[in-house]
Amino acid sequence: MLHNPSMNSNTKNHAMVLQQLQSLLPSECLITDGPGLRPYETDGLTVIREMPWVVVLPETESQVVAIMRICREQGVSVIARGAGTGLSGGARPHNDGVVLGLSKMNKILHIDVDNRVARVQPGVRNLAISQAAQPHGMYYAPDPSSQIACSIGGNVAENAGGVHCLKYGLTVHNVLGVRVLTSDGDVMEIGGALYDNPGLDMLALLCGSEGMLGIVTEVTVALLPEPEKKSVILAGFRQVTDAGNAVASIIGAGIIPAGMEMMDKLAVEAAEQFAHAGYPLDAAAILIIELDGAAAELDAVTHQVIGHLQACGAYQIDQADDAQTQARLWKGRKSAFPAVGRLSPDYICMDGTIPRHKLAQVLTQIDTLSKAYDLAVANVFHAADGNLHPLILFDANVPGQTDHAMAMGSEILRCCVAAGGTVTGEHGVGVEKLDTMCVQFTAEELDQFFRIKDAMDPSGILNPGKGIPTLTRCGELGGMHVHKGRLPFPELERF
Amino acid sequence: MSGDLSSQFTEVVKNAYAAEQGLVICGHGSKGAWLPEIDLNNTQRLDVTRHSGIQAYQPEELVITARAGTALDEINRVLAAEDQMLACDPPRFQSVKADVMVGDNAGGTLGGVVATGLSGPGRPWSGAVRDAILGVELVNGKGEYLKFGGQVMKNVAGYDVSRLQAGAWGNLGVLASISIRVHPRWQEQVTLVFQMSAEQAQKKCLRLAQQNLPLQGTCWQGGVLYLRLAGHASGVAGAKLALGGETMQQTVDGSFWSDLRDHRVDFFQPKDDVQKIWRLVVPSAAPLPGAWLSSEDLLIEWGGGLRWLRHADEAAVKAHAKSVGGWCWAKGEQMPIDAVQGRYMNELKRAFDPKNIFRSAMSLQHAD
Ligand SMILES: Cc1cc2nc3c(=O)[nH]c(=O)nc-3n(C[C@H](O)[C@H](O)[C@H](O)COP(=O)(O)OP(=O)(O)OC[C@H]3O[C@@H](n4cnc5c(N)ncnc54)[C@H](O)[C@@H]3O)c2cc1C
Repeated sequence: MLHNPSMNSNTKNHAMVLQQLQSLLPSECLITDGPGLRPYETDGLTVIREMPWVVVLPETESQVVAIMRICREQGVSVIARGAGTGLSGGARPHNDGVVLGLSKMNKILHIDVDNRVARVQPGVRNLAISQAAQPHGMYYAPDPSSQIACSIGGNVAENAGGVHCLKYGLTVHNVLGVRVLTSDGDVMEIGGALYDNPGLDMLALLCGSEGMLGIVTEVTVALLPEPEKKSVILAGFRQVTDAGNAVASIIGAGIIPAGMEMMDKLAVEAAEQFAHAGYPLDAAAILIIELDGAAAELDAVTHQVIGHLQACGAYQIDQADDAQTQARLWKGRKSAFPAVGRLSPDYICMDGTIPRHKLAQVLTQIDTLSKAYDLAVANVFHAADGNLHPLILFDANVPGQTDHAMAMGSEILRCCVAAGGTVTGEHGVGVEKLDTMCVQFTAEELDQFFRIKDAMDPSGILNPGKGIPTLTRCGELGGMHVHKGRLPFPELERF
Repeated sequence: MSGDLSSQFTEVVKNAYAAEQGLVICGHGSKGAWLPEIDLNNTQRLDVTRHSGIQAYQPEELVITARAGTALDEINRVLAAEDQMLACDPPRFQSVKADVMVGDNAGGTLGGVVATGLSGPGRPWSGAVRDAILGVELVNGKGEYLKFGGQVMKNVAGYDVSRLQAGAWGNLGVLASISIRVHPRWQEQVTLVFQMSAEQAQKKCLRLAQQNLPLQGTCWQGGVLYLRLAGHASGVAGAKLALGGETMQQTVDGSFWSDLRDHRVDFFQPKDDVQKIWRLVVPSAAPLPGAWLSSEDLLIEWGGGLRWLRHADEAAVKAHAKSVGGWCWAKGEQMPIDAVQGRYMNELKRAFDPKNIFRSAMSLQHAD
């Protein structure tokens, strides 16, 4: 386990901060005791832990503003936290910082049926929005697999995706407005039930900013009418490449499925044992495809998609119109992570995204790496948008294996970058992918990110050390991106 | 003529940075009429139109990458040949320098589409320009050539600098290359026509928005509501049957929505010298302007969310926009910028352009 014990914490300021927090907040909004703090030592990336020294759980925006003022004045950092389901260590505590948990700010403020928006507090769970909109025949489209737990504030901060992104977009496409508090204490109301806004698009910048530019205190999301009808198709393939070709062939024909997920043999085996979804155990890969729309259109498109699947060599095709069978076909995919979790004591989930036509190439590279590192990999991913989730299985109790698995993960991400993709499609950089960021960006680009950070957070107290690696770190890694044969910052010492 | 002028751009910006000289980034000039003219004092023109050409396009990847100077017309043609179109529906305005700029060279560049971020009638359904952007390469105010985002559908590595460029009007850098999402072309398009008042039209649009319909545009003007249905043929046919109304003739239909989008319809010609064209972005269900506005001076799009007004009384329009929770912008004038947000926007500009080299038409100073 990569323990990172608190070092040289700023104890004098801590005492002062604590005193001020105590006079500000009711006792149930402040956690300082060991057992109470434990749930906050990690997020969904459990291999990295650090015990925080204090967690605050404000109930109102004005409390958040006051907490920010105290931290700014005392020079103590602020680490926002939603539900702690993030997979890249974004909400991991900082030895000097205050963990700002937003879970108590969990009210749905307004479902505006006419304007088709919901105004909610940041701690509201993703699924709760759709549940509140359901009586009106509407829903909130982005549906990360963690949607029963993750918060909308965390979704904004990570620009979370889900299985329906290709057709319905990511968080950034479905959030119309935010209230955001800066470290300087300004509360800005950006956007609203509006289709565009004057000036620079700070709303777009805040989506995916991992709590490093501002604290989201309220979100306005778009609601969509529920689709009239859905069709779910399961297809089994003997070759992974055939499944990859089917994805390209369907999209190439001008069809945009609501969802299109792929699972490889190991993932199918694990899911089947766990969920009994009826997946073909002899398949090298399966595709689960969801189509939605008006009834007349749906029948025609379903027919077309089945034709493509057959032409690409699918040997088993099941199609479901009824909600019950559809739920069964989805169940295996939706429980794939916990199912794989039962195969092995530990796993880490990668999040590289690649152009779809490179699917077969990168999957072959992952297979080669799996053999070289002698660690099994199960692949479960959003095939429609090229977002891979290789799950690397390992045992943290075997000395050195965590580092070994992390090293293999970095190599997979390098393959994704080399294939023209990115190190993270939807899980964020956090602390986990700081090193691979050095592969994807030049020193000048990283420096540009830092200048953006300075512009929004001049005191630098918001979630420091996350998201963007320092140039020194990249230099030390030796893996620094080399642009046109020139080493950036030649004056920096290298070793 | 097309080619890669990116290294020339970095040189020009580096020199301007060293000399603290302003640069005015110029495309076709097709959207020049939207903001006040730029003060050209101590500035140099940077023409980006010859930095053009499509760099990557594989239809099944649903993305096209092109140099920023590539003509919008060319992009549209290349996509149409593959039965695709841009995922957003940006307007194609005519260059104000129509005497020198003709054909492909008059209707805007891809860089201009992104920099202005303006949306056509399809905005609520097919998204804005910012929604379609996947990646940009740009030269910042220090003359550094930087790449953000890419060609993949999802990318959260680092801050979303790419989408921040949409609607930045060149404040943050010289856009050099853009990757933008494309979409399969609609199989079928039908326009339904209904005679009704603005109030009735608004109610109808709000009701329809709650349903699952292949709606891709609404327009109310002069007592007539136009609904564009577009997408899969069977879906469009089903919706047409369900909605009734008269069907617009196919020949007229083809140009109705592009004429509207590109402001070639009469409404956008002010009737006299004092009238201005106002663009109001408001919540779709927001009350319509009262009796102070003649209904012939109102045009409504985006299911109620975008309203165009012809009016001379600035104070009345501004008060109305504010009272209904929206904002307004008069064509040819600055946009309103909130005081606090403006401060952060200026800091962001400084982060990209520390010496204020890029003289953009869009001011980031606070203005009501
Ligand atoms: C089983 C499982 C499945 C998952 N599936 C998906 C998936 O399909 N798609 C996907 O995109 N993700 C997925 N995730 C990842 C995770 O759920 C998302 O990243 C989610 O958006 C995190 O939300 P959270 O509330 O848990 O945020 P946290 O983990 O608490 O925080 C995440 C980041 O957001 C910041 N933050 C939180 N709240 C705020 C706020 N109010 N203001 C500013 N910053 C804030 C934090 O500082 C941190 O950097 C999955 C995770 C798990 C465990």
